Amino acid sequence: MNRRPGEPAELVIRHAHVLDPATGLDGVRDVRLSSGRIAEVGEGLRGARELDADGLHLFPGFVDVHAHWRTPGREDEETIESGSAAAAAGGFTGVVMMPNTDPIVDRPVIVSGLVRRIEQESRVRARVSAALHVGLAGERLTEMRLLREAGAFCVSDDGLGTASAGVLRNGMLYARSAGLPVILHCEDHSLATGVVHDGVAASLAGLPGSPASAEDAATATALVLAAETGAKVHITHVSTALSAALVGFFKRRADVTADTTPHHLTLTDDLVSTLEGLYRVNPPLRPDEDRAGVEGALQSGVLDFVATDHAPHASEEKELPLEEAAPGFLGHETAFAALYTELVLGARLSLSRLVEAMGCAPGRWVGEGGSLAVGSPADLTLVDLSEEWTVGRGTLISRSSNSPFLGRRLTGRVVGTIVGGELVHDRTGARFGARA
Amino acid sequence: MEIKSFLTLEDASREDLRAVLDLARAHADGRMPGALAGKTVCLAFFEPSTRTAVSFELAAKRSGADVISLSDKGSAIAKGESLIDTVVTLDRLGADAVVLRHPAAGAAALASRHTSAPVINAGDGCGQHPTQALLDLYAMSEALGGFDELAGRRVAIVGDVLHSRVARSVIPAFKRAGMEVALVAPRTLLPPNVEAWGLPILPTLDDALDWRAEVLYMLRLQKERMTGARVPSVGEYARYYGVARRHLQSGVLVMHPGPVNRGVEISGDVVLDPGSLIPDQVAAGVCVRSAVLSVATGSAYEVAA
Repeated sequence: MNRRPGEPAELVIRHAHVLDPATGLDGVRDVRLSSGRIAEVGEGLRGARELDADGLHLFPGFVDVHAHWRTPGREDEETIESGSAAAAAGGFTGVVMMPNTDPIVDRPVIVSGLVRRIEQESRVRARVSAALHVGLAGERLTEMRLLREAGAFCVSDDGLGTASAGVLRNGMLYARSAGLPVILHCEDHSLATGVVHDGVAASLAGLPGSPASAEDAATATALVLAAETGAKVHITHVSTALSAALVGFFKRRADVTADTTPHHLTLTDDLVSTLEGLYRVNPPLRPDEDRAGVEGALQSGVLDFVATDHAPHASEEKELPLEEAAPGFLGHETAFAALYTELVLGARLSLSRLVEAMGCAPGRWVGEGGSLAVGSPADLTLVDLSEEWTVGRGTLISRSSNSPFLGRRLTGRVVGTIVGGELVHDRTGARFGARA
Repeated sequence: MEIKSFLTLEDASREDLRAVLDLARAHADGRMPGALAGKTVCLAFFEPSTRTAVSFELAAKRSGADVISLSDKGSAIAKGESLIDTVVTLDRLGADAVVLRHPAAGAAALASRHTSAPVINAGDGCGQHPTQALLDLYAMSEALGGFDELAGRRVAIVGDVLHSRVARSVIPAFKRAGMEVALVAPRTLLPPNVEAWGLPILPTLDDALDWRAEVLYMLRLQKERMTGARVPSVGEYARYYGVARRHLQSGVLVMHPGPVNRGVEISGDVVLDPGSLIPDQVAAGVCVRSAVLSVATGSAYEVAA
C-alpha cells in the first residue's frame, strides 16, 4: 500500500464509467483521489497524475468477508502477501481473514502478531476474525474483549460448523458484550456426515452425502439465537433455498446479515459426477433448485452480499478421490468475472446489484468503504467489462490453483485495484502516466 | 413498624428499612440487652454456609436467645427429610423464629406457609437474601453519614447478576433507599430480559466509573462459572469486571457480600483498602440480624433516637 518515494499523493481517474449504487452514480465521470480519500467526482478534472480509464468501469472497492490466507501454518498454500495479491487481482480492497489456521487465532498474542504482519505485507485492508471458541472446539469462549483490543474485527468458528445451541447462545451473548460481530458457518455435525450434497448426483456416483438439513437446521438455530440474544450475526456461505428463506424470515427480527458465494451461485452438484477432488467444497455444491433459490435471495437483498470463502489448498490435498480431498475453492480472482459472466450477461442479475453485493453492502458491513461519496476512503475497483479471458494456472496469482473455474472462458476482468488511493493491482499498462 | 416477615425486601418501604437500621444501631450500641431472652431461634441450613450461619448465631446469642442449629451435615436434613417436614418439626418444637438457607428460590416462602413461627430467609437459591441487603444498607449508611445520605447516590452492581440472590435483594433495597442502580456484567451473566429491570447496563467497570458510580458492589463469581462457558478466563474477567487499585482513585467505595475471590472480582491489594467496606459489611451483619430477629419475634420495642 505504500507509495513509492516521490510519487504525488493525488491521482485523477479520467473518463471512467462510474457505477456506485450507494450514491446512485451511473455515468462517465472523472474522480480525483487525494490523501487516500475520494476528493472530487465530476467532469473535466485534471491532475498531476492521471489514469485514462476510457472504456473502463469504476466501482466501489469489493470487500470479501470470508478468506483463508492460511497464515500462520500453511504458507505453502497462501500467505498474507500472496492472498492479498490474489484479492487485489480480483478487485477486492478489503478482506476478513478466518481464524482456522495453525495455530488457531484464539489468543490475543496471535491476533496482534497477524495485525503487525498485515501492516507490513498486505496489499489490501485485511481484517482479522478471531475464533469464537478456544481451539474452534465449541466449548470455552475466547477472550473476546482482549482479542478485540489486540485488533480482532469479529469472531467466528468458521470451518468447524456450529457449536451446540446452548454453547452458541452464550457465545453470541458474550460477543455482543465484547462488541464483536459473529460470523457463522452453519453446519450441524450430526447431520453433515458426507462429502457432497446428499442428492441424486451423490447417490448415482456412490458418494456419501450430507443433507441440506445439515445447513438448514444449523441456520435456523443460529437465527433463533441471534434474535433472542441481540448479537450482530452474519451467516456466511448460505447455499440452500430454505436457509435463504429462513434468513429472510429473520431479517426484521434479528441483527442478521448473510452472504453466499460465487460458486454456490454459478455451479451445481452435477459436477459431483466427475468424482474429482477439485469439486469438493463445504457447504457442498447444491442442485439447481437451491442455486436458483440462493440467486433469487441475492437479487432481492435477503442475502446481503457475496463472499468468496477463498480457500487455497496444495495440489496434494485436491488431486485425490473426491472423498479424500480437502474441501474448498479459490475465490478471490474469479469472483467478479464468474458472476458477471453467468448472472449479469445471463440477464439474471443487474450489474448494479452485483456491484452492490460485492462492494457497497460488504463495505457497509465492515464499516469502511463501499461508497464513492466524497470523503470516503479511496478504495476502488477498475474493471474492463469487455475483456474475455480463460482461467488457467498461469493467470492465478494465489499460491494455490484449486479454482473450480479452471479452464473456463469468462468475461469481465479487473484492470486496477486501488486501496487508499494507491494502485495495488495494476494491469492498466499504457493508460497510466504522468501528465507532461 | 410494618415489616413482619423477612422473606424478601421487595415490599419493604423506605421507612421500614430505616426502622430496621435504627434498631440495628440500637443493638450495636448496646441499648437492647437481652432483647431475645427466652426466645428460641432455629437455624435450618440446607446448603453449606459459614459466615451467614455464624453471623445469625452470634446475633441471636448476643441478644439472649437460645439457638438450635440444623445443618446439612448430621441432621435430619442430611437424612433427606423434606423442607416442609423439617420446618413443621421446628415449629412444633416451639421455635420462635426459623432462619432458613436453601438452594432453591422460593424455599423460604414455601416454608413460611407451613409454620406459625416467622421464617427469615437467609438465602434461597438465586432468589433472595434480604438480610444481606439490610446489612449492606447499614454499612453504607455508616460510611456515608446516615441512611438519608444514600438517596441520589450511584451504585453499580458488578458481576454475576444472573445467578445472584444477593443482586435480587440489594437492587430493590438500594432503589428503595433512593439510590441509582446500574448493572455491569457481560451478557452471559445477565438475565436475557434484563432490560425489563429498567436499569442502565454498563459494559465494563471503567464505564461504571465514567457513569460516576460512588459505590461498586461486587458480586462473587462462582468457581463453576470460570470454566469458559460464560466467562472466557479469569484474566479477562478481572481485567474488565474486577476492581483494581487504579479504580479507587476516584474515591469510590467497594463492597462485596463475601467470600471474595481475590484476583477475580477484587484485586488482592484492594480487599482491605480503606475504600473497602467489606469488613464493615461483616461487622454490620451481627447487629442487623439481631434487629431482624427482634422484629420477627415481636421483641423489638421503640428505640429512642
